[in-house]
Amino acid sequence: MNFWITFWSIFFFASLAIFAALAVVVTIGGFFNIRSLFKSLTDRVDQHDDQS
Amino acid sequence: MDLNALGIETNFGRLDWCIVIGYLLIIVAVGVYIKRYVSNVTDFIVAGRGLKTFLAVATMIGTELGLVTVMYSAQKGFTGGFAAFHIALASAVVALVVGLSGFIVVPLRRMGVMTIPEFYERRFGRRVRILGGTILAFSGILNMGMFLKAGSLFVMGITGMTSEYELKVIMSVLLGMVLLYTALGGMVSVVVLDYIQFVVLSFSLLATSVLAIRHLGWHNIIEKVSELQGEAGFNPFHSEGFGTSYVIWMFFLGLVNCAIWQTAVIRACAADSIRTVKRLYTFASVGFLIRFLLPYFFGISALVFIAQNESLKNVFLPQGAKAASDVTLMAMPVFLSQILRTGLIGIVSAGMLAAFMSTHDSYLLCWSSVLTQDVVAPWFKKGLSSKARLLLTRIFIVAIGIFILVWGLWYDLGQDLWDYMAISGAIYFTGAIALLVFGIYWKRASKVGAYLALICGFSAILGLKPIQVLLGMDVSSAIVGLVVITFAITLMIVGSLIFPDRSISLERKE
Repeated sequence: MNFWITFWSIFFFASLAIFAALAVVVTIGGFFNIRSLFKSLTDRVDQHDDQS
Repeated sequence: MDLNALGIETNFGRLDWCIVIGYLLIIVAVGVYIKRYVSNVTDFIVAGRGLKTFLAVATMIGTELGLVTVMYSAQKGFTGGFAAFHIALASAVVALVVGLSGFIVVPLRRMGVMTIPEFYERRFGRRVRILGGTILAFSGILNMGMFLKAGSLFVMGITGMTSEYELKVIMSVLLGMVLLYTALGGMVSVVVLDYIQFVVLSFSLLATSVLAIRHLGWHNIIEKVSELQGEAGFNPFHSEGFGTSYVIWMFFLGLVNCAIWQTAVIRACAADSIRTVKRLYTFASVGFLIRFLLPYFFGISALVFIAQNESLKNVFLPQGAKAASDVTLMAMPVFLSQILRTGLIGIVSAGMLAAFMSTHDSYLLCWSSVLTQDVVAPWFKKGLSSKARLLLTRIFIVAIGIFILVWGLWYDLGQDLWDYMAISGAIYFTGAIALLVFGIYWKRASKVGAYLALICGFSAILGLKPIQVLLGMDVSSAIVGLVVITFAITLMIVGSLIFPDRSISLERKE
């Protein structure tokens, strides 16, 4: 049982640290991705309006 | 459950109600505002295939890390202890392998399909698409049937609300808000709101984990679980706990969650390139890990907290008996209502309820798209116009919303919520695994094999408790799932070898 206690303890804290780092990176990167998504969608909507 | 009668008072106050209501109103307003960016059905269903890596990761985790996931995972942590962590590990390992290899998802993205049944048509023909789409939608809608119930139990546990009537009104209003912005904004609304949900929920869950450890103490948690559950609380292979067949079943579910389940695959289909698909799954493997791991930990913390409180212990851990599924589901929210202070509890609840809405919006969009694109549209030989498809998708969104409202109120769960979710999903994915894997990687996979695998997969419905009670059976959902998968794969191979498609037969004759 000791093996599993040690294993899950290391696994839990390592995962927590990795996720904290990922959350920061994705929050910042995702913000810029949203801006570029809106820009491309706005261009498409404008094109669509021009065609109709 | 009346917490006041047990001498327990929730920390959820007026300030928290203001935070929750304000946050939800902003979310819906943003969702509705985004309608202006939708010009056709591709924008509506896959956001114009314009998702870049970080946004795709946020939206995938935002969808998968919903309130329902938190609820059923916390319940598994409560009943299974640290051994439940193996489910998170399996999920992450499989998602990482899919990300590095591109297994299934890259060929699907390369083909440019919007739904999995669309792949069925290209590989096996139109009728397989209709049958596959019908089974997928049936399984998916059944799968989300318990979402409202889980949401209701969370609200009751964390706010201390006891009036069933008020609760039903609140849940109906929440569902109504989701229907409104999903029906109007489609996938563009969904990805933006998923991003907001990801940010709020990630940081509030991390903060809650730290608070739980500070409140209970890591060594105390380990000792208490050891005292309550023994080795089975840590060793997933222990026969009194999960057992080997359950662990194998979880690896299958890991593959299903990221590469077979339509709500995840639709993210791959919406990505702007194949490179993004691979990066998405590689990054999201951490999300697939965390979406289970943190809620399991909350469930374990709830177990320890409740075991130290006599009045709660009598309700949640009755001596010589097993508490009902509805009761164990409430353990985590009751625990959070005790350790989180006013203000923070409002932020966490708002994040959870927003996550509740974010899972609903993705699932509603997903199943309504499948019904429109794969079940109804293929019947029209000249095809349906983009406008008709949009209208039909919106009608299905509302119809599914009404169904889950009714289903969530009367269905008697009778098993852990996670097992219900797994087996209701298995109705689709046990057959779908065979069609996708063999359809992509085996040239000789035939139409007859595909029909047989899909029909066989439907028999996974035998894993649902009410069906077992009706038939006088008592078999674990893991065994049912593994047996059905084995049969579906076997039938796919045998059916394809005995009844090859005409093109293959002609090739062989030449």
